[in-house]
Amino acid sequence: MKHMLEISTLSFAYQGYGEGVSNHPVLRDVTLSVAEGAKVLVLGVPDSGKSTLARILCALVPRYLAGEVAGSILLKGTEVLQMNPWDLLGRCTLVAQNPQEQLLMTTCGDEVAFPLESLGFAHEKLILEVDAALQKWGLLPLKEVNPQELSGGERKRLLLAVTEAIDAPLWIMDEPFDDLDEQWRDILLKKIQNRNGTVVVFASRYLDEFRGTFDQYCLLTEGNIITDTEEIIVEQFEQASEIQFPLAPKTLKTISHRLSCNQLTIVHPRRSVISNEPFTLHVPEFTVEAGEIVALVGPNGSGKSTLSRVLCGLDLALEGSVSLDGSTLSAKALQATVGYLFQNPDYGIFLPTVRDELGWSLRRIPRLSSKRKKEIVQSCADLFHLQLADNPTMMGYGARKQLQAAVYYILDRPFVIIDELDSGVTYAAAFEIVSLLRSRGAGIVIITHDRTFARNLAERQYKIVEGNVEETEVGA
Amino acid sequence: MTTSTYIAGRGFLYWFDARAKLLTVVLLCVLVFLPMRQLGLWVLVGVAFLCAWRATDFKQALQPLRTILFVLIIMVLFTPLTYRDGEFILFIGQFPFITREALVQVNTLIARFLGITYVCSLYVWTTPMADINLAFRWYGLSYQAALVLTLAFRFIPFIADAFRMIQDSHALRNAVRIEGETGKRQRLLDVVPTVTAALVFALKSIPYLAMTLEHRGLGSSVKRTSYRKLHAKGGIFTHVLLSVMIAAVFFLVFITI
Repeated sequence: MKHMLEISTLSFAYQGYGEGVSNHPVLRDVTLSVAEGAKVLVLGVPDSGKSTLARILCALVPRYLAGEVAGSILLKGTEVLQMNPWDLLGRCTLVAQNPQEQLLMTTCGDEVAFPLESLGFAHEKLILEVDAALQKWGLLPLKEVNPQELSGGERKRLLLAVTEAIDAPLWIMDEPFDDLDEQWRDILLKKIQNRNGTVVVFASRYLDEFRGTFDQYCLLTEGNIITDTEEIIVEQFEQASEIQFPLAPKTLKTISHRLSCNQLTIVHPRRSVISNEPFTLHVPEFTVEAGEIVALVGPNGSGKSTLSRVLCGLDLALEGSVSLDGSTLSAKALQATVGYLFQNPDYGIFLPTVRDELGWSLRRIPRLSSKRKKEIVQSCADLFHLQLADNPTMMGYGARKQLQAAVYYILDRPFVIIDELDSGVTYAAAFEIVSLLRSRGAGIVIITHDRTFARNLAERQYKIVEGNVEETEVGA
Repeated sequence: MTTSTYIAGRGFLYWFDARAKLLTVVLLCVLVFLPMRQLGLWVLVGVAFLCAWRATDFKQALQPLRTILFVLIIMVLFTPLTYRDGEFILFIGQFPFITREALVQVNTLIARFLGITYVCSLYVWTTPMADINLAFRWYGLSYQAALVLTLAFRFIPFIADAFRMIQDSHALRNAVRIEGETGKRQRLLDVVPTVTAALVFALKSIPYLAMTLEHRGLGSSVKRTSYRKLHAKGGIFTHVLLSVMIAAVFFLVFITI
């Protein structure tokens, strides 16, 4: 059997910064062989080292994120650790977990074309390949659109289009199913299954659709990779990620609020292309009660984030209004009423320690003694499993998401919108965050593509279908 | 990390070739430093503003003015203090504030600054970034150098975009339920953490940008091809001629030599 990839006793530790700080080991003696044409699923809880391993396989780490590496990685017999990233173009392609990291160009067409230009494709072939790749991922009408104007799922599809256009023998995909709606998840799975080349998928969630899809199942745990049958790996993974869906606790507050919008029309034009029909969203009716969990679902680019920004007063609707208990609220009042946990936690985190970050939220509350403030900050940190002295920039993605939620817990907003909480954190952690926010009586809107997550948490659901928001059965 | 400065619109600036347009920008920027009549400078600002309005909308056309307004105010306040010769025409109490010559100087400086800002803004608003890259290369810049320039053009608005997202996030964190509780002073104080977060965010993105560039083949010895090609309707000569004519008209009508 020919091997595409042979990883032998690979260890890696990120460089620690500061006096007396030791290097943080991420991988310990990882050994894995991947046959040519094999489809491999590597499961691992968030922050288990999946992204680091994916980048090492593409010779990007430790080149750009300093650390100590030992061991060997052979890609069809060639040592990857001694290669430059550009030498691997055409041999292996990485789809990063966060698409924002990999977007370089200012139109979707140019994004797909960039690596093909590096491979020396002739102009005529370039045009054909770019159009074909965009067509396969439903992005051809958006060819001249700036990737920054795409939704999270559309950006992920753009990266998949780039990967497909390069058509390297080895695809390394870090959480490729995150952000994708069901239709595109199915398409991606079929592409993986039908591909002649080798695919290594790193995932922190085991989706029902994965059953029987892959040839090899692995678990990345405590810095090492275990390979076994699908049943055993999934069982071990579920134990490691504490997957459970206990009933949400009853709300402690009895204050009843109702956030509602009536006959809302939202228009969101793109800057990079002229369109006679700019993106328009109609919301005939949308309500959330205090203490209620409502799912907001819809295909990629359907306008979930657009609606959320209007609900929390960051953008204005063209027509209609948002009201609290029947009274129309101004944008400023909405900002103080509806919290919004952005998909990217880094937008809201900026202070050097968790203590500062949580304390900053309390500075606007008058007549609160410093002793009381310290107590609140400490208890909040305990609830969200945070260390007050930790530096948020150095914390893992999941921990940063928890800090972001802790900030809103302290702010005690009557309503909170949570955008794609389930990506980057375990189900258990996501559930805990929602439960904690709800325990203060907040009405919660969760934006998700994961039907399992929605089904187990939400009491009601709104779905965006072709520019219209309508209430549907939960999980539909 | 690729925010574009390009804004889709209509008008002759959109079909004007990127190479010729770049030449116009350079010629006009040189022209404003020649001894031009003040009226000429303001005509240039006015025309550039009208083009910006036509290409985008009134609000967007005001954007460059808003961006440099603070610098303009500093110019108005401090330039008169450095030009003390001539006839004083304004006194603040007993203090002679501004001379006629200083007024002319302030007027010229503002018109030049606005003119250059509008001309450059128009170029990046009406030219796709990939075409700007190709235009640089047409003038002989190496691919790497052109890429660095276009990435710089993109990285600055990227920071501005990140700043806006962070500003939104902070607005939500800072919002208070009592109207009027947040004063202008508080909003000014809140700019510091927002800027800090935007800078941290931008700095953190640098290694990922470099990583992706190399992962997509930058650095490879294979000769790069090009997906885009510049097409000048009617030929590049016509466009370059038009470009030179625009600068020549301003030169001949408004030059004071």
